[in-house]
Amino acid sequence: MVFNKLDKTYIFRYLATNMFGGVFMRRLFGVVTFALFALFIISSTGFSSKAYAKEIKIGVVWPMTGPIASFGQMNWKGAQIAESMVPKTKDGATLKLILLDNKGDKVETANAVSRLITQTHVKAIIGAVASGNTLAAAPIAERYHIPLLSSSATNPLVTKGKKYVSRVCFIDPFQGSVAAKYAINNLHAKTAAVVVDIAQDYSVGLAKFFVQSFTKMGGKIVARTFVQTGDQDFSAQVSAVKAANPDMIYMPTYYQEASLFTRQAKQFGLNQVIMGGDGLESDSLLKVGGKAANGITFTTHYDPKATSGKVGKEFLKRFKAKYKINPDAMAALGADAYLVMVDAINRAGGYKATSEQINKAIRSTKDFHGVTGILTIVNGDAIKSAVVRKVENGKFVYVTTVNP
Amino acid sequence: MKKNTIFTISAIVVLFLFLLYASHNFSAYNIRILNNVAIFLILAASYNLINGVTGQFSLEPNGFAAIGAYTAAILTLTPAQKSAMFIITPMVPWLQSVHMAFLPALIVAGLVTAFVGFILGFPVFRVRGDYLAIVTLGFGLTIRVVSNNTISITNGALGLKGIGNYTTLWWSWGWAVLAMIVIMRLINSEYGRAMKAVRDDEDAAIAMGINTFRVKMTAFVTSAFFEGVAGGLLAHLITTISPTLFTFFFTFNLLIIIVIGGLGSMTGTAIATVLVIWGSELLRFVEQPMHIFSLTIPGIPGMRMVIFAILLIIIMIFARDGLMGQKEFSWDSFFKFFKKNKKLAK
Repeated sequence: MVFNKLDKTYIFRYLATNMFGGVFMRRLFGVVTFALFALFIISSTGFSSKAYAKEIKIGVVWPMTGPIASFGQMNWKGAQIAESMVPKTKDGATLKLILLDNKGDKVETANAVSRLITQTHVKAIIGAVASGNTLAAAPIAERYHIPLLSSSATNPLVTKGKKYVSRVCFIDPFQGSVAAKYAINNLHAKTAAVVVDIAQDYSVGLAKFFVQSFTKMGGKIVARTFVQTGDQDFSAQVSAVKAANPDMIYMPTYYQEASLFTRQAKQFGLNQVIMGGDGLESDSLLKVGGKAANGITFTTHYDPKATSGKVGKEFLKRFKAKYKINPDAMAALGADAYLVMVDAINRAGGYKATSEQINKAIRSTKDFHGVTGILTIVNGDAIKSAVVRKVENGKFVYVTTVNP
Repeated sequence: MKKNTIFTISAIVVLFLFLLYASHNFSAYNIRILNNVAIFLILAASYNLINGVTGQFSLEPNGFAAIGAYTAAILTLTPAQKSAMFIITPMVPWLQSVHMAFLPALIVAGLVTAFVGFILGFPVFRVRGDYLAIVTLGFGLTIRVVSNNTISITNGALGLKGIGNYTTLWWSWGWAVLAMIVIMRLINSEYGRAMKAVRDDEDAAIAMGINTFRVKMTAFVTSAFFEGVAGGLLAHLITTISPTLFTFFFTFNLLIIIVIGGLGSMTGTAIATVLVIWGSELLRFVEQPMHIFSLTIPGIPGMRMVIFAILLIIIMIFARDGLMGQKEFSWDSFFKFFKKNKKLAK
């Protein structure tokens, strides 16, 4: 049908008079509501997945959006590489990873985990990144007896008293003690200042464990100062640290705060070595910190240089080929979470293994050769070596590996 | 009048019968979503009382929910749990030893939050409009900073863990229905009409002899009470809380709900809560890889937020006052609607 000019103006006038509150709007609302309903119904009937003959469903809950999305995305990249390396169990069942985004949020994590268990009926779950989110997921996994394997929740409380929660990363007390050992043996530090991010459970916990080990080994904490996530100006903290004149500074924060802190520290002539935890590992540290970042030393899970063993080398090769960058600790941990899971399923009997059996197998993982090294899981916590890395000339370089 | 009361009561009975069915037959996931809907309904309805009905644009619910959540959680945790959890600084002794059942803990949480609301009301209602929004926004931020720094009470950034999973459908929906009834009754009372007068023209309301401060305070304290209770329910649903849960985005979510539902409309809020909370979960399927015949579409994380945003824009274009505007659902208009349709059919 072709409208002439008159018709067109008529339609516009009709729309203008009837758009809001008129027949037009009511009809449009009808259409929109109908579309919404159709969408909901389609979603609930679930045409989303094609059924394979033999597949094992593994749920994955990682933050793909939100404030800690970069960690979740790296985890996922690593896990996908690992999936391409070992796509099937020994008895030929395909492993199907079902990724749900938790936005780095507790409520969303609980929703996603409960959806995976009671709607999708997965056999096991990998996730989450942050300790706080993993803690929100834990009670649900415990209730339904589904193994939950975290890639990077380092807080000791995550697995405490739990039967179905495990992890492939080391825990903060170990990381803190490695840093303390390195400070005393390699930096020959006798005194230390601690800079804590009061708004991060990660930072508060790690600082406590460092202080414990450091004082136990004869060191002395001469200053303790606090920052908060998002702070830009650290002059008060820098002068407090400078006044105490410590041999080294321990700053277990995330990279944003550390990179700004180190710049301001150098401006004030505070040239002591800054040490930190795995939260410092990011290219932003190098970019924002610039020259001031040189010398920053931190404990972490992985370094491409420290890779030994077939699995690690294969992973490194495939990751570089696909993403054109070196994998970081998060990518390596994501891969290890997947590989430990596959190994556990194989040992539990492959395709026929129940969640209960898989959980038992995960928690009895022994001397497993993963991407980040050799790991053994005891009471849900992974016992493995830590890597010390350092910033030199605007690059991360490998320093040493510390065994437990 | 009386007939409508009977209708309302029977609707509530039907709701609870549905919940009875749901609690036995629904999967844990669906029950969780229903719980979320109830809790956000309490939060949004009480937020709408202050924002929509009284017209005081404020941004504090994350602060109130945080106070309620922390109070309730501290009260229901056992002394043994507390001493195991406070690894940085031990908890202050008088809080360490208190322990309460769930219901009294929720009521105390509500009362504490209402009291904080009452104190806050004095400085806050000295300003109007945008300034009010800024002051209350500041309060929300302050609560976060305080909960991060009072380590001997809140355990700082580590948060509280292992909180009992007491929130069932009965608790959450019981409180939601109670909150709706109280708020609706308040709106339809003399106070409620005064609130609307304050919203429509505060100067005229003063000229008519309305004590606007008292009216605003009533709305604020009622709103604070229910937000505190909802915070407590939320804490006992997800079993772990930390300051990062109560960011500005928490308030922002509620703001989206009440704007979609219609500022000033409680039934609109109810519809919008279901739409936002349930809808964002239902839309998860768009992030999954899809196989339609032989075509495979890889899943894109974040896609549901994009679609959700488009839906919100559509709603805001075609219903500028939200789904319900300032109107409320009433049985009279409900039956009139059907009668009209019948007539049309003839």
